[in-house]
Amino acid sequence: MACAFELRGIQRNLAALEAAGVKAVAISADTNDESRELCRKANLTFPLLSDRNAQVIRSYDLLVPNGGEDNRDISGIAEFLLDSSGTVRWRHFGETKAERLVEEAKKL
Amino acid sequence: MAAKLWNWRLWAGFGLSIAALAGYVFWVNETRAVFWPALLLFAVAAVLLLSGLKRRSRDPELYRGKVAGYVLTSLSVLILGLFGFVAYQVSRVFPDAKNAPQIGQRAPEFSLADANGNNVTLAQLLSTPIANSGSATRATKGLLVVFYRGYW
Repeated sequence: MACAFELRGIQRNLAALEAAGVKAVAISADTNDESRELCRKANLTFPLLSDRNAQVIRSYDLLVPNGGEDNRDISGIAEFLLDSSGTVRWRHFGETKAERLVEEAKKL
Repeated sequence: MAAKLWNWRLWAGFGLSIAALAGYVFWVNETRAVFWPALLLFAVAAVLLLSGLKRRSRDPELYRGKVAGYVLTSLSVLILGLFGFVAYQVSRVFPDAKNAPQIGQRAPEFSLADANGNNVTLAQLLSTPIANSGSATRATKGLLVVFYRGYW
């Protein structure tokens, strides 16, 4: 559950993000079942989207070939803040603290 | 005999290798392109260290740094090795992301199933208001899209 730390941090700061008018959504190459399991275990209320064939992950150029268990293709860690027109206003690669995401969200 | 001269090239080379590794670790999350400047710093460090060693072996009477020369050079090689290891790990864990959407660019549209199998699109996330737990809703000013490695 390497990455659930970041998602849990976002969950804890979800109210602050939403207060800034920002929704959260998370994408991985997991199956729906795996996402549902993670949602339940980590009490995540924002959507986890399942990009099973990594098509979207590829379109964001974030694919890490054979990076996961069983040499599965997985997504690299990245965060994008989009404004309401869908334009990228801030981005970051690798994990980051949710507090920083809130800070950036407030600048939108 | 006069005091020997300080062989500053050895220390500068050593300092530069530390700076190269530290700079790489500090900036790699912001931009992967930091790899090349770091490598360049290591190259400069190597030149300084080698010329420092050469100077010392040519004029052992003139320069200090007999022990320091070998210690600092060995440490720098270790630091370079550490840099190689970290950069390899980064390449395994992080994508290149050269063509990831840049600031100011439109994020690519997506349409994916959520954990319950319902389809969710980027356009839909941006255009629907934020549903609070209460009855109050708030207009969506933005969207945080997080990519994560997955539950494994």
